[in-house]
Amino acid sequence: MKTARIVKSAFKGLGRNRLRTFLMMIGIVIGIAAVTVVVSAGLGAQKRVMERVKKFGLESLMVFAGGGREMGPSTSGQPVVTLKVDDAEALERNIRAIAGVAPFNRKGEGMVNYQGKSINTGIWGVTPSWAPVWDWYAAQGEFISEEDEAQMARVCVIAPTVQQELFGGANPVGEQVRIGNVLFEIKGIMQPRGISPRGGDMDDRVYIPLSTFMRRVANVDYLTGIKVRLQSIKNMEQTVAAMQSLLRERHKLAPGEPDDFRIITPTEVTQVAEKIAGTFNVFLVLVAGISLIVGGFVIANIMLISVSERRGEIGLRKAVGARSRDIRLQFLLETMVVTLTGGVIGILLGFVGAAILRAVTQMPVSLSWEGAALGVVFSSLVGLIAGMQPAKRAAGLQPVEALRA
Amino acid sequence: MRVIVQTENVTKTYQRDQGVPIHAVRDVSVAIAEGELVAIMGASGSGKSTLMNILGCLDRPTEGKVFLDGDEVNLLDDEMLARVRNRKIGFVFQTFNLLPRTSALDNVELPLIYSERDDIEGLAKQALEKAGLRDRSHHHPGELSGGEQQRVAIARALVNDPEMILADEPTGNLDTRSSYEIMALFQELNRHGRTLVVVTHEPDIASYATRIIKISDGRIERDGANQHIRQAQDELARLTDMTEAK
Repeated sequence: MKTARIVKSAFKGLGRNRLRTFLMMIGIVIGIAAVTVVVSAGLGAQKRVMERVKKFGLESLMVFAGGGREMGPSTSGQPVVTLKVDDAEALERNIRAIAGVAPFNRKGEGMVNYQGKSINTGIWGVTPSWAPVWDWYAAQGEFISEEDEAQMARVCVIAPTVQQELFGGANPVGEQVRIGNVLFEIKGIMQPRGISPRGGDMDDRVYIPLSTFMRRVANVDYLTGIKVRLQSIKNMEQTVAAMQSLLRERHKLAPGEPDDFRIITPTEVTQVAEKIAGTFNVFLVLVAGISLIVGGFVIANIMLISVSERRGEIGLRKAVGARSRDIRLQFLLETMVVTLTGGVIGILLGFVGAAILRAVTQMPVSLSWEGAALGVVFSSLVGLIAGMQPAKRAAGLQPVEALRA
Repeated sequence: MRVIVQTENVTKTYQRDQGVPIHAVRDVSVAIAEGELVAIMGASGSGKSTLMNILGCLDRPTEGKVFLDGDEVNLLDDEMLARVRNRKIGFVFQTFNLLPRTSALDNVELPLIYSERDDIEGLAKQALEKAGLRDRSHHHPGELSGGEQQRVAIARALVNDPEMILADEPTGNLDTRSSYEIMALFQELNRHGRTLVVVTHEPDIASYATRIIKISDGRIERDGANQHIRQAQDELARLTDMTEAK
């Protein structure tokens, strides 16, 4: 009851000094708004990373032909010819942790024609196992079958971007397209998959049987890579080690010689994506943190000035019966109310800012209650710390001395 | 008659940094009884304000004992003292000490915030009415005259129904008419049984008291009943007649 009155009294005190209250609040508003934007952007980036990792598959590995540090196929220009279909079969046969393999080869850019319209898209030679290994199936029609693969059939499955560009919204299943100089019949449309972990459009592709790709289109006998699906995400390191030694043995690599392939795990996919988002975040968190600290100092400073300015009031309150702890509570409450209100305003502004950021930059921004809660906790903390010293000083004033001022 | 506050050989010494100690109050023994209107008179620096602060439990004596309503004040901690001030004493200051930009009603409610009472608004309105300010309750101090502001302060001193009101130079910042009005209000409160102690350096103001204590150099020089109590109401009437005659 008494405390409630002191709370009310603190609110009234703030209302009496609107300009001072506003000036105290502004730093916190900016700080919390910045924190909210950063957290929203950070969570957005994290969410995007997780989505990408999920697309890659948590129980998946990728074997690429060629060594080197970068993710993806060799960039030297010289095709690496050491990874073969036999390697894929050997992996599946010899390593029990492997649930399935999907060997593939691809051309980054290939011409696809339909009735005079032509587009440039990725041409992928894949086996029927591609669908279960990626958990990625035909949305309409059918995916490439064992029969297609055995007969080197001239059939293809197109992804949604290709469908959109060549056929608009129409159903193209059964239509004929020309890939290079060869006519293919479209037998299915893939489910949409969106952006890959590296940022490419996974729906801008045409799939044809691997055998057809190797003999009729590209005339090669090697693979770009092998997608591997594991039984479970457990013991991934041992599995990777087993795969590595098997492939080294098959490729007759002497000890000390570097691998002529690379095995990519989901962890590496996550790291690459996080590296992109991370740098930006560290900078913004720093800015937000500094503005909050500055805001806290501003508040502490103004409150200290306010304590000496209001000596008379403090003396009076003590004369009429306020205990030291009542005065301390009042001043602490005043600061906390300022910072909390500033925090709430900052969160709202931050949400608006984050929404604008998303609209303008297409950055993934995720508005979340975590961000809001963080803002509230931070601002109360700043208020508590900034208000402690002024409140202590106010409470410590002797009534006679305070009244004399 | 019941004694409200009593000092026994009270001394208050201030130690200014490294200088000679200043004895603001020396060996003062005095008792204020219920129903008195006491004027503590003295020149500035005579120690009268220090004595008032000690009587009002705002300050502690360096030596001697103070009894308020039978309790020995020296034995109370700061928290208990705050409670005593809240329940038993009302203060009126020379400079009014109202919270700025705060309505008269909110100013009067201030002591109640720190009490356990209910219906603080109702009590504050009653106190304002006693001080003759019923229709001024929502005005801010800046919108009130000096006399009205002091009435708000008096209402604030009354609101907790204290044993005793202590007023430190209550008319020091007021014109003649307002001063008479304030003293008339004090005399009226006193007639209804309220105990008041008024600190002043003006003999004129002291002449409305029932008892006058003269302080000089920290000691009681004279202490006795006022043989010629004047009525502030009469002075007010005379003042009105004079204005009308003009």
